[in-house]
Amino acid sequence: MPKRRDILAIVLIVLPWTLLITVWHQSAIAPLLAIRKDEGGEGRREAGGQDSKEYCASDKDIVEVVRTEYVYTRPPPWSDVLPTIHIITPTYSRPVQKAELTRIANTFLHVPNLHWILIEDSQRRTPLVTSLLRETGLNYTHLNVETPKNFKVRGDTRDPRIPRGTMQRNLALRWLRETFKNNNSQPGIIYFADDDNSYSLELFEEMRSTRKVSVWPVAFVGGLRYESPKVNAAGKVYGWKAVFDPHRPFAIDMAGFAINLKLILAKPQAYFKLRGVKGGYQESSLLRELVTLNDLEPKAAHCPKVSSGFFFFFFL
Amino acid sequence: MAARMKLKLKTVFVLYFMVSLMGLIYALMQLGQHCDCAEHDLPKDRAISRLQEELYRLQGQIRQLEKAKQPEKKQPPKSSLSTIFVITPTYARLVQKAELTRLSQTFLHVPQLHWILVEDSPRKTPLVSNFLMKSGLTYTHLNVPTAKERKLQEGDPSWLKPRGVEQRNEGLRWLREDRKTEPGDDGQQGVVYFADDDNTYSLQLFEEMRSTQRVSVWPVGLVGGMKFESPVVEGGKVVRFHTGWRPSRPFPMDMAGFAVSLRLVLANLDACFDGEAPMGFLESSLLKGLVTVDELEPKADNCTKVLVWHTRTEKPKMKREEALQVQGLGSDPAVEV
Repeated sequence: MPKRRDILAIVLIVLPWTLLITVWHQSAIAPLLAIRKDEGGEGRREAGGQDSKEYCASDKDIVEVVRTEYVYTRPPPWSDVLPTIHIITPTYSRPVQKAELTRIANTFLHVPNLHWILIEDSQRRTPLVTSLLRETGLNYTHLNVETPKNFKVRGDTRDPRIPRGTMQRNLALRWLRETFKNNNSQPGIIYFADDDNSYSLELFEEMRSTRKVSVWPVAFVGGLRYESPKVNAAGKVYGWKAVFDPHRPFAIDMAGFAINLKLILAKPQAYFKLRGVKGGYQESSLLRELVTLNDLEPKAAHCPKVSSGFFFFFFL
Repeated sequence: MAARMKLKLKTVFVLYFMVSLMGLIYALMQLGQHCDCAEHDLPKDRAISRLQEELYRLQGQIRQLEKAKQPEKKQPPKSSLSTIFVITPTYARLVQKAELTRLSQTFLHVPQLHWILVEDSPRKTPLVSNFLMKSGLTYTHLNVPTAKERKLQEGDPSWLKPRGVEQRNEGLRWLREDRKTEPGDDGQQGVVYFADDDNTYSLQLFEEMRSTQRVSVWPVGLVGGMKFESPVVEGGKVVRFHTGWRPSRPFPMDMAGFAVSLRLVLANLDACFDGEAPMGFLESSLLKGLVTVDELEPKADNCTKVLVWHTRTEKPKMKREEALQVQGLGSDPAVEV
């Protein structure tokens, strides 16, 4: 009898420890795999970029790097394999409009497989935007819808209760659903890019692998250096690092997420809410119809890099 | 005594079992549903890395195609496409990286462009150094700090003291030094343009300025409180200037509204910006030593098109950041913004 009791005791001691070790082993291996794949990717990227650089000795004060191939004046050739990035940009007439659109077009000309959907807040398509789009050489779609006067912001004051650009973004979503209704085998990613933000080129490559909705940090928004999603050790988003109402379902800026086209086509009722939306809740009004926090894919997350900046521009 | 010891041992075992059980439960809760996804993710991860490989391969192909396409074109550009030397002063502030990123994305489209970036700093900062290395541009990284009495203080209006003077002069000095090592006519060909890091430049502007013989000029949008400022051209010559502020200046233009041929810069080794000049006379302090109004070359369709805009960036509001920092909860300073 003592023997059986002893054996029972030993089993009871050893069992939880073996279970623990097995589980920890599995969880330790999986993130390692992910990191290795990332590093493989990074390494290849660096190698591709540096094959034509020469560095001078750094004991001089000045470092010169000569590089002659990386010059595009047209968008890069279209690839049949890369998912298309559909960029939705609402715009409206004001003195800096042409400057902003010029600047952002110069950025987009570097991104392969980009489709720019520009929606004007106007009754008719303006000649300024029409000729600008034609001259860039980008792959574009030019739409327009006028926001009714009682929704428009008066003058230049930003009233957060009136969401600017909402009707225009919804029109773009509707256009995408109508255009890709029958042909939803083409992979695509949707990104809402305002014309006054600043984007790094790496951002577009990060978002290309979006399966449902991906998220990343955004600089100069919400009164902080940057707002970002909070990511746990398992790589899942569990909250938001923001000060302005961090309990919003999605405390994220318009520039901080991208959606897979398939998801938009699968949920044809999902749109930005037009009326009765509190300031800062516009993004949530769309995202909550598409995903839960658990489905979000954090990008630029392991080394939190800030990839898009949000700020106003004005002329003096 | 033996009975008590046995009891103690039993308690120890029971406690041990409870503790390890609780530890196991805690560990499982920490992990969440990670295990469930592991099976599904692998094929998709594979697809993603396959797509990324395809992307890199295509980018490599593009580079090769460009190389192959350009040999016929590449020899002439050495002599017919003159280099544009863009001198940009910059200083550390929150939006610096964003501005430089955006600017570099424009410059990457311009062939034969050499960017001379001069920091207002006693030392070269890692932010700018790393940024330039990754930019893919031909560049020169310089730095010179502005003297304290000449620097704008916090709360000073932006028009109180001229900015970027020492930095632009340093750019000119470096250029003159550098060209000494490249004698011959080829080394003298080029155009010098002073581009601030917060303006907006169209690609056509750089093609217009490439043919500058002495000093070329064009309209600038959204400057001086006007929709645009511009030279007025009659009979192919600049006769006066359309501007709302102090039109009596010798050259009532913005820094972004003119470019100087390299030859002229090298021929007048003393010509530089005068930091003591009154407000708005900075451009004139350089140009009056180089050229007369009569000799100016109008570009941009006889100065009828706006190809550059004097945009300004609003300072981001950091009040929540400041509030958090007081509590010790500010944004991670290790993250470069």
